[in-house]
Amino acid sequence: MENSNSYSPYSSSSVDSTKPLPSESSVNLSLSLTFPSTSSQRETSQDWPPIKPRLRDTLKSLRLRQRGYNTALFVKVYMEGVPIGRKLDLSTFSGYESLLENLSGMFDTSVICGTRDSKHHVLTYQDKDGDWMMVGDIPWDMFLETVRRLKITRPERC
Amino acid sequence: MNYFPDEVIEHIFDFISSHKDRNSISLVSKSWHKIERCSRKRVFIGNCYAINPERLIQRFPSLRSLTLKGKPHFADFNLVPHEWGGFVHPWIVALAKARVELEELRLKRMVVSDESLELLSRSFASFKSLVLVSCEGFTTDGLASVATNCRHLRELDLQENEIDDHRGQWLNCFPQSSTALTSLNFSCLKGETNLAALERLVARSPNLESLKVNRAVPLDALTRLMSCAPQLVDLGVGSYENEPDQESFMKLMAAIKKCTSLRSLSGFSEVTPLCLTAFYPICQNLTSLNLSYAAEIQGNHLIRFIQFCKRLQRLWILDSIGDKGLEVVASTCKELQELRVFPSDLHDEEDNDTAVTEIGLVAISAGCPKLHSLLYFCKQMTNAALITVAKNCPNFIRFRLCILEPNKPDHTTSQSLDEGFGAIVQACKGLRRLSLSGLLTDKVFLYIGMYAEQLEMLSIAFAGDTDKGMLYVLNGCKKMRKLEIRDSPFGNTALLADVDKYRTMRSLWMSSCEVTLGGCKRLARNAPWLNVEIINENENNDLMMERNEEDEREKVDRLYLYRTVVGARKDAPPCVTIL
Repeated sequence: MENSNSYSPYSSSSVDSTKPLPSESSVNLSLSLTFPSTSSQRETSQDWPPIKPRLRDTLKSLRLRQRGYNTALFVKVYMEGVPIGRKLDLSTFSGYESLLENLSGMFDTSVICGTRDSKHHVLTYQDKDGDWMMVGDIPWDMFLETVRRLKITRPERC
Repeated sequence: MNYFPDEVIEHIFDFISSHKDRNSISLVSKSWHKIERCSRKRVFIGNCYAINPERLIQRFPSLRSLTLKGKPHFADFNLVPHEWGGFVHPWIVALAKARVELEELRLKRMVVSDESLELLSRSFASFKSLVLVSCEGFTTDGLASVATNCRHLRELDLQENEIDDHRGQWLNCFPQSSTALTSLNFSCLKGETNLAALERLVARSPNLESLKVNRAVPLDALTRLMSCAPQLVDLGVGSYENEPDQESFMKLMAAIKKCTSLRSLSGFSEVTPLCLTAFYPICQNLTSLNLSYAAEIQGNHLIRFIQFCKRLQRLWILDSIGDKGLEVVASTCKELQELRVFPSDLHDEEDNDTAVTEIGLVAISAGCPKLHSLLYFCKQMTNAALITVAKNCPNFIRFRLCILEPNKPDHTTSQSLDEGFGAIVQACKGLRRLSLSGLLTDKVFLYIGMYAEQLEMLSIAFAGDTDKGMLYVLNGCKKMRKLEIRDSPFGNTALLADVDKYRTMRSLWMSSCEVTLGGCKRLARNAPWLNVEIINENENNDLMMERNEEDEREKVDRLYLYRTVVGARKDAPPCVTIL
């Protein structure tokens, strides 16, 4: 009997970064502190009290937040020309690729970073100094530490 | 009845829908068996390994709706390895091959792959309803296939599944022509949702009655969704971290006011209490309220909301509501039938005054005469309280009490809780499901064996003294179907006393008990119609089979046995040995 799609929260597929991001490609979603991890180890703390995984993780997250650990990293995201912004939890993404994929889906358009292009929206961010910068120049982890808000600019601007 | 033509008998059978009744009908005579099986549309299989798909299809050629359950219940609590089994794929392959006109598939605790979903979506032209509960193994790509290919899809209900979320594009896959949706629940998805696609879908689904969104749907989007679906009966709200501004909040409230059919509300993970107040306009219409994920809303806000919910029949809530809150529920919700109170503090570190105790439970039992189903997590309990509850509520069908600290006695008398649970089983003559906790001796099982005549499912944890306890239950409870035991001192004597008893039961689970490998082997030898599975993640199971006499005395970590007509399954992973 085959188990054709062996389940793992860490399953990854390769994404060819030289091609424009195809709409149906799989993206590596990293483990984040706000999402449940499916552990196959039997620790007593994981099986008592008898509550389901989703509740267990909700309560874990709550407790971490109450104790001051920052489990989520919500930043405001604006699309230039649209007054109402969105909020996005950056800790749920593994890197720039998955962030862009998500933004493209969220705003129903194609968002890229780095190269100036007359067709695509370019992603910029405001860092902790208040300056507006192009997304993608610095390593992802460093980006997470410095980003304060995101703006998707109109193509011509950059 | 034998003088009626078959079509008349079949027509009469059409009025009989309960599985139990139809099973009984099929035992009356050969001709009734044939008529019944050829006309049966809905089949329920409580254990997917008790039968195989080929035999199912052979017996019920007119099958339209199939319900399958896979992993045992304790899998919900991380006691069963993920790779244990319960694969739906062979079922879908067989149904497709036989060209069964499947319309509805309901799965619980099964492993579902994207490949399975793809095959499902392409094989059954009239497929209408997919309900997946506590399943895993698939991604949003599988959902995309279902959305794309199931042209007549009415219901897509995903409850508590582990789904790898690739993106929100699957919502785009519903074709423009798809307008038949009545129920859409994707609350367990973790990633971003394509809101535009969702809004378009909801706008063109005039029959949509149930909509449950995931965390990622923010307040303004929710307002728009509710505005184009004022006919909603059942709403699952997402989450929103930010405090809504006055204008957005008023817009939301206006949209909610129009939803006069709304009866059921759920979701609310990570919301500010203000968002709950937006629902005040319709709260007196609510019959079902699930705030068990609303960990951020404090007790006083919950209480303020619930005091207007006079028609509530079902309430799922966190223990942050406190005994005071339950007293409010008791005085407000006179129609309450089902109550679930979940723990909000897993580690018992804080001296939590606001958690619930026996006081809250007694208040509920006194105030809610229609209560028949209970799941109650608490820090302490007393016999006196349980005896009072039993007196107040003799109509319990499901009574599940979980005292968070194992082996905790009655906190006022320091005695065991045998008498309290004894009172429950004696008074509640219709009790079908029971979960025990706290300090319990063999005596509670004596009571259960004596009085719990209708009991079908019993969950035992950290209870009992000797094998006598388990024997009382096996000998006394004639209707027992599912028995699950963990961390209790029951061993081979109880396991082997009456092997034929397991013919009448669906399954038995025993983990961290006293049964040994030798005992399990003996059982397997005496009962070839049972699958006796040993689960041991740390062992190479080929070695286990070659063990000598010495090792037969080794205790078995996890035992799961179930009756089956198709013998040992072939898809067991290395950590499972079938004796």
